[in-house]
Amino acid sequence: MIYMSTFDMSNLPASKKELLSGTLDLLVLKTLDTMGPLHGYGIARRIEQMSANVMRLSQGSIYPALIRLEQRGWIKTKWGVSETNRKVKFYSLTRTGEMQLQVEVASWEQTLALVSRVLEGKA
Amino acid sequence: MSVRRLVLRLLALVRRDRLDRELDDEVQAHLELAEHHGLARGLSPEEARLEARRAFGGIPQMKEVHRDDRSARWLEHVIGDIRYGIVSVRRDPVLTMVAISVLALGIGANTAMFSLVDGVLFRPLPFPDPERIVRVWETPTATTSNSTTTRNFVELKARSQSFEALSAESTSTATVEVNGTPTRLNGRYVSADHFSVFGIQPLLGRNFRPEEDQPGADRVIVLSHAAWQAHFGGDPGVLGRTILLDNDPHEVIGVLPPGAFDRLRSRPLDDPASFWRLNAFDQEELRASMHWLNPVGRLKPGVTVQQAQNELLGIRAQIADLIPAWKQAWSVKVEPFDELLIGDRLRQSIYIALGAVVFVLLIACANITNLLLAQGAARRQEMAVRAALGASRGRIAAQLLTESLVLGVLGGIAGVALATLLVQAAVPLLPVMPFTAEVTLNWRVLAFATATAVAVSVTVGLLPAVRLASGAEATALNSAARGSSGAHERTRRTIVAAQVAVSVMLICGAFLLFKSLARLQLVDVGARIENVITMSIDLPRDHYPSGNHLAAFYPTLIERVNAIPGVISASLAGDMPLEGTGGENLRMPGRDERLMVRFKRADSAYFATLGIPVVAGRGFTTSDRAGAPNVAVVNESLARRLRDRFGMADPVGQAVDLPLLGFGRDRRAIMTIVGVIGNERVQSDLRAPAEDVAYVPIAQAPRMQVKLAVRTQGEATAVFPAVREAVRQLDDRLALADVRTMEDIWAGSLSGLREPVWLLGIFAAVSALLAALGLYGVLAHSVTQRRREIGIRMALGARANDVVSLVVRGTLSMVGVGLLCGLAGAAALTRVMRTLLFEVSALEPSAFVFGGVVMAAFALAAALVPARRASRVDPSTALRTDG
Repeated sequence: MIYMSTFDMSNLPASKKELLSGTLDLLVLKTLDTMGPLHGYGIARRIEQMSANVMRLSQGSIYPALIRLEQRGWIKTKWGVSETNRKVKFYSLTRTGEMQLQVEVASWEQTLALVSRVLEGKA
Repeated sequence: MSVRRLVLRLLALVRRDRLDRELDDEVQAHLELAEHHGLARGLSPEEARLEARRAFGGIPQMKEVHRDDRSARWLEHVIGDIRYGIVSVRRDPVLTMVAISVLALGIGANTAMFSLVDGVLFRPLPFPDPERIVRVWETPTATTSNSTTTRNFVELKARSQSFEALSAESTSTATVEVNGTPTRLNGRYVSADHFSVFGIQPLLGRNFRPEEDQPGADRVIVLSHAAWQAHFGGDPGVLGRTILLDNDPHEVIGVLPPGAFDRLRSRPLDDPASFWRLNAFDQEELRASMHWLNPVGRLKPGVTVQQAQNELLGIRAQIADLIPAWKQAWSVKVEPFDELLIGDRLRQSIYIALGAVVFVLLIACANITNLLLAQGAARRQEMAVRAALGASRGRIAAQLLTESLVLGVLGGIAGVALATLLVQAAVPLLPVMPFTAEVTLNWRVLAFATATAVAVSVTVGLLPAVRLASGAEATALNSAARGSSGAHERTRRTIVAAQVAVSVMLICGAFLLFKSLARLQLVDVGARIENVITMSIDLPRDHYPSGNHLAAFYPTLIERVNAIPGVISASLAGDMPLEGTGGENLRMPGRDERLMVRFKRADSAYFATLGIPVVAGRGFTTSDRAGAPNVAVVNESLARRLRDRFGMADPVGQAVDLPLLGFGRDRRAIMTIVGVIGNERVQSDLRAPAEDVAYVPIAQAPRMQVKLAVRTQGEATAVFPAVREAVRQLDDRLALADVRTMEDIWAGSLSGLREPVWLLGIFAAVSALLAALGLYGVLAHSVTQRRREIGIRMALGARANDVVSLVVRGTLSMVGVGLLCGLAGAAALTRVMRTLLFEVSALEPSAFVFGGVVMAAFALAAALVPARRASRVDPSTALRTDG
């Protein structure tokens, strides 16, 4: 399977190009894998915390990623109640999503390895 | 993309409202949670809300991406753009009406012209396997084609293997009683397999049977669909009915389907053929040497034109001993049927008209582009707002293109409606088209119209869309960037220059054609055109069984007609001027030399009635009757030929050997030339030089089909009822046909040039107007833009005249460049019209002068209106307002 949106820059607002696109999908999947069902804000917070100050992220940009992943069938939604007593969607990984995460991680590591090799070779 | 995601995306399109609502809820919940956390971290409520917003990022941008990602967004865009396009089209109704009208004009004219190209040039023969249909000719020389004789045809047909069907066609007329009135109908003599040549089956009844074109067979006819409708009321009971053709009983065995065979004419002014009857050749006809049959055949599958030609050449060699010595050098030619139907001139006229109409469309497009560019300048703010709200450059361009697509589609619909009218209006043109041409709006034409509308939309919309979309990001909401940018202005001026160039080319082309037409109209016909009405009369064989009966009838008729008030003189002849007449051999007695001349019968009043001057000797008199010494009259051209060829200084009194094609006979006689007359144009093509003509007295060579010419004091058509009554009193079974004035005949001889001339003239005028309109638009716009500048100039002392000349000077470069390019283009392009031109060079200087002057005048007129408006700018107002 080819991960289609890996280099698809058009999915992100132009002002946020510093986030390598496609990585967001991977981060969302990984977050849900570790944390279990989360609402949008929870996912965004978690990613923010994990990336600390390394990566700048608009929290809003996870919503397009969420609908994308949902349409692909990798995550599913369930209505629940938030800490503020509001009805919100909780997201969780599907079986395909779990499998996809493996593929994504492998593909990411491959890409990373390739890029490192090239960079080292150049240096 | 997986099927699942595709389906979901399409579903998202339908559920967009719900999805949007859910997203809004999620965003709200997200912000609340973020605020909640902010408060927990000890921020003030205000800080917490701002912090939550900041961390979230741009909400509208995110929503755009969300929509893009979740659905078939392009489709959603298209729907939205069309909706928006319709709204914006309605927002500026004047611009929209102008744009749609101009586009409708361009698309409509192109669609109508394409239907002509499609019907005449692309699909000329509406028959199965049209490439197998051929004509067979005898060719006296390499460049002339002639009919064939009965004997030659019979031999070719019996011996050749190349043809699936081979029919000998010749014209026929017959008087038939229709609703109690004798009516002369045109028709054809053909062979039994004639309709197999064209692969058509009768709509009703049956085809001819092979045995039916043999001598002694019962006589049968097939009717055209139009004749069946017009003369027999569309009654299917006509099958099996016996009708009298010249009192000869014929059984109706079939009715053709509607279509091509409803339009088969021998000459453009003639009525179409109504019936087909069979040629049954008897022994006498087999011996006759008359060339009267035009074979038309269908090749067997796989046989090429060249193979058939080779076979016929072989057969001609086999039958060489049947062919007179003087025709031994003749050859035969097999020619694809459509080549004959569509002459070079017609083909070229159509292509030129098509080229012109494409130019008109281009000019129309240029105008719309300019309009949209001007309108775009006014909409720059709107676009900037959209860009600020997250619309990408591509999205803005797509939206603008969709707007022009809406224009194009509306223009296309109006254009097809217009084309329907134009095709209707072209119906009178059909007689000059091949009879097979079906000029209709079929699916190919509609596909063409659709493609044109789309191409036009892209053409007119692309430039403004790209311009405006790229401008939208750059200018943003900066209102200081108001007004027309330099590049913008340059584009519009270039477009106007191109319009001027194309218009000049069309004007030059139209001028050349008009000049040719004028020259052609000046060609001396050699016969009176005004106040002469002509008609043909067929004298049936059973009433006029011999030449003597005919010869006795002629003077009686003339006497009756001359007695009608208002008639100056009446005359009978075999053919009228410009209507064509047969060719025969003229020989010198005692010499084995022959001249091909035109041969014409005329009575004693013919030359006087038609105003043809007797140059030497005398014309015919009433004493040149049957039994009197045989005499002939020659025209000046033939007199010159006789002198050059046979050293005949004065032909009057000399003897020549001419055929005396009398009633049912085919013989020759030595006759004395008694006079020389001026050159009467006997053939319809006025471009060709005058031909050599020999005249014989109609009383000495009588025939059943004659033409009556009546010269009148006033309006020629006014006497026709009286003439008809006079003829009816003489013999109530006679039918008058082909009633037309000499003016009609003369006008008919100009057809084929007149139509393209007017068409091109109209196109040129329209394009010049459109170009002027374009120029006006650009100038008016720039005057509006430059109000401040003009105001300053006037405040500093410029007078109205200075301002006018300032504006007019601004047009000079535009118009000048356009004129130069146009004249160069005209010089390059007018040569394609060479075969349509008559006594006019394709590089005629007056055409270029005319084109340049007319276009410059149009441009000046267009420039003066905005220039005058500029000169009336009130400096104080112009400087105070910030427009």
